[in-house]
Amino acid sequence: MEVKILSAKFDIKDAHKIKVAKKHGAYSTLDKLFSMPPEDVIELVKESGLRGRGGAGFPSGVKWSFLPKDTGKPVYLAVNSDESEPATFKDRYILVKDPHMMIEGIIICSYAIGSHDTYIYIRGEYTTQVKALQAAIDEAYAAGYLGDKVGGHDYTVNVTVHRGAGAYVCGEETALLESIEGKKGQPRSKPPFPAVAGLYGCPTIINNVQSIASLPFILENGAEAYKAYGTEKSAGTHLFGISGHVEKPGMYELPLGLPLLEVIDKVAGGVWKGRKLKGVIPGGSSTPVLLPEEAKTVTLDYESMAAHKTMFGSGGIVVLDETVDIVQLVKNLIDFYHHESCGQCTPCREGLGWMLKIIKKILSGDGTMVDLNLLRELCDNIELKTVCVLSAACTMPVRSYLDKFRHEFEAYVANNDSSAAEAK
Amino acid sequence: MADKIKLFVNGVEVEVESGKNLIDAIGAVGIEIPHLCYHPALGADGNCRMCLVGIEDGRPPLVPACKTPAQEGLKVLLDAEHIKKIQHDVMEFELINHPIDCPVCDQAGECKLQDYYMSYDQVDSRMTVPQVTKGKKMDFGAGVVHDQERCVVCGRCVRFCRQITKTGELGIINRTDDARVNIFPGRPLNNRYALNVVDLCPVGAMTSKDFRFKQRVWFLKKAPGICHGCAKGCNITIEHNREKYKDDVIYRFRPRKNDQVNGYFICDAGRLSYKAENEGRLTEARLSNKAIPVDEILTAASKEIERAEKTAVIVSPNCSLEQMIAVKALAEKLGASLSGFSDGYIKSGDGDDFLIQDDKAANRTGLTLLGIDSSKQGFEAAVQGAKLLINFDNDLGLSYEEGALKKLLQGIKIIAITSHDTDCVKMAEMAIPVASYSEYAGSVINCDNILQTFGKAVTKNNDLADICAIAAGLGSPLASPEERFSALQECIGALKDLEPDQIPAKGLKLNDSEAANVTV
Repeated sequence: MEVKILSAKFDIKDAHKIKVAKKHGAYSTLDKLFSMPPEDVIELVKESGLRGRGGAGFPSGVKWSFLPKDTGKPVYLAVNSDESEPATFKDRYILVKDPHMMIEGIIICSYAIGSHDTYIYIRGEYTTQVKALQAAIDEAYAAGYLGDKVGGHDYTVNVTVHRGAGAYVCGEETALLESIEGKKGQPRSKPPFPAVAGLYGCPTIINNVQSIASLPFILENGAEAYKAYGTEKSAGTHLFGISGHVEKPGMYELPLGLPLLEVIDKVAGGVWKGRKLKGVIPGGSSTPVLLPEEAKTVTLDYESMAAHKTMFGSGGIVVLDETVDIVQLVKNLIDFYHHESCGQCTPCREGLGWMLKIIKKILSGDGTMVDLNLLRELCDNIELKTVCVLSAACTMPVRSYLDKFRHEFEAYVANNDSSAAEAK
Repeated sequence: MADKIKLFVNGVEVEVESGKNLIDAIGAVGIEIPHLCYHPALGADGNCRMCLVGIEDGRPPLVPACKTPAQEGLKVLLDAEHIKKIQHDVMEFELINHPIDCPVCDQAGECKLQDYYMSYDQVDSRMTVPQVTKGKKMDFGAGVVHDQERCVVCGRCVRFCRQITKTGELGIINRTDDARVNIFPGRPLNNRYALNVVDLCPVGAMTSKDFRFKQRVWFLKKAPGICHGCAKGCNITIEHNREKYKDDVIYRFRPRKNDQVNGYFICDAGRLSYKAENEGRLTEARLSNKAIPVDEILTAASKEIERAEKTAVIVSPNCSLEQMIAVKALAEKLGASLSGFSDGYIKSGDGDDFLIQDDKAANRTGLTLLGIDSSKQGFEAAVQGAKLLINFDNDLGLSYEEGALKKLLQGIKIIAITSHDTDCVKMAEMAIPVASYSEYAGSVINCDNILQTFGKAVTKNNDLADICAIAAGLGSPLASPEERFSALQECIGALKDLEPDQIPAKGLKLNDSEAANVTV
């Protein structure tokens, strides 16, 4: 089931070094790139069906075409390497194992959108990754693939690595821009969207590492070759990080559209220790959980996930076995999002802390049905009332656990509240 | 005047000004959209989420009204159940970690949380878990005391220090419900407008050290006034109260919005200048430094004036136009030379490019316009050989060293008609107490040639006479307000066709020729 497109060089020793990478085809697309008009590159990416791999899945080529023409301002490219969502660990492989694939992708994207300056915003905790990436960028400058004459062509691409300081919210694209500008990482109200007024008020495209890294393959092999993988609307391949209670956790590149349970069984070795499946988090901690019966019918693509009232997300699949205490899990989940709320909007700032205290109260055995119902109501009261979707990234999954595993929560409050038992 | 556009609020067509956001445009016609973080002087931030409204045209279901421009035909939904629920929910979130210490909070009575609780919430608290605790009674410097627990993190104060004073002392540190306003360690508020953050704060998080615990705000009487702290003439609200068995006392000045003068703000020095209205006043008439009744001193002064061979008159640049014209008429009648010399009121280099002016006098433009000479030579020539100097509230101690002043005025009898007990009073043969600017009505012209009127705000137990009345008592022919106003009309072209009550509340901007008017 596994394919090797993005991960083609992951198993090659020292592929992060430019010499080795070049031997295996790195930077080979540049001659072709600069022979094409930029519009054709955008068109090609549109045709390929490549969708943003940061989680939202917005078509990349379409995003690029939102850039206003002839504003007289520079166009910036920001590469989102702030990979911070619990259970998501795909971009780090690209950054360490094949950074030149991403740099090549940056050149392709820059040329397509008319940008000469790229900022790579990298998660602050990624110390190994930032070293590998910076070393690769230095090599690329030395070899003439970055700087004034990219690969000998009359085009300038400069790349700056900007390290975050450890805020999940800086993965939100406008918070990321604020952070690059040296401000506190807080999401901006939209409109205006970054394509119109982004970094330093200039038109800006923000793409995920994996989206950018997919470009060399598309340029080299064409849109059809990319579309050969995946489904009609969810084209191509994706790096899936499979973790949790499976026999073989790890990062696997798979075409989109495979059945989830089949992937868990055949690729990740199935639920560990012969235990039963309790649920699956399909795409990072912010995606609503799937029950085993839902997992039977869902496939790993944007459409099927949406049809199952969850999201494809970032490809971070977490398998939960029968021993998992869902109430504990929800406490961990709220704890994370509460900690990471930027504190800007009232509902998220005050509400997530309230939710955390309520779930702790329930866990401690002091909770009542009133608390449980309040927790559920707060999900609705917070969600979509805020500038960004961080609050929804907490309330959507929490709501799914509350609704799908209600009995587990009720068991915690049963001792305090006889009405809980009656309600069942 | 901005263009008018028509839009719909809850299905009802309203006509509003274009070019504004929904809060201001719809607010101007009396429909409130609740908001905490938005302030017209600071722009929209969109963090409080209290102003979320629906727009019935297929855009995202909710938009912040502060960030949504009023547009022709827009269908704004305000009274729908889901919008009311958001307002209620946001209020619930604002209040869960709020100490609700209203009984001891200075903001009580003028607090947006209280107002909005009554308008949009009105339900019992559902908070059964411990509240977040933060810093209390934090001294932010410049007389500002901060309570982090009362704070709703709207960031108005932060934006004020960044956008208006450009000093940036305040920031919001930490994330999530630990977010709080703070100063940087060892770097307190250090700008001359810092106390405006107390007004800007919609809740009781920012309080003024000066005003804290002095009065419950609902007891304060509010009267419009003009600050006399400098030549800018910032519009203020004089907030005063007469407690039982006590005198009418001013407790604070607050800025009053006037777009063509001071906008929304005033400087801290001006704000605190209310103290000079309460303290250091001359409240009794004195003859040779001994208290005597006012009517007796007037008789004595009149005799002195009759006796004097040569009299000089000096008037303060803080006096109102009405006072100046009355004094001028008196000087003319006495054949005395009149001076407005007051160089000491000007503190060169003290002004800035916002509100604060070098000139600490409220009506120097008035002096010029009425043709009153303000030169030092003029004044010194006038007192040369004079036997009597009638000083209308001009603090000569600002313009001269004590020794130099004594030398200059040697052998001259002084009648000091003054609101404050200054050193000049001690030098005077006779001292006559008069009302200060919060106790009389008048008009002044600011540094930008804007003529502004103000009414009598405070009536003291010992209600002192206006300089106009004293001037009349000493023989000024302009005895009535009507006579003074028509005399002013002759000097100031812009007043010619106006009745006194027709002077606009926002002030009358004199054009260049009127401001350069020299009719004398």
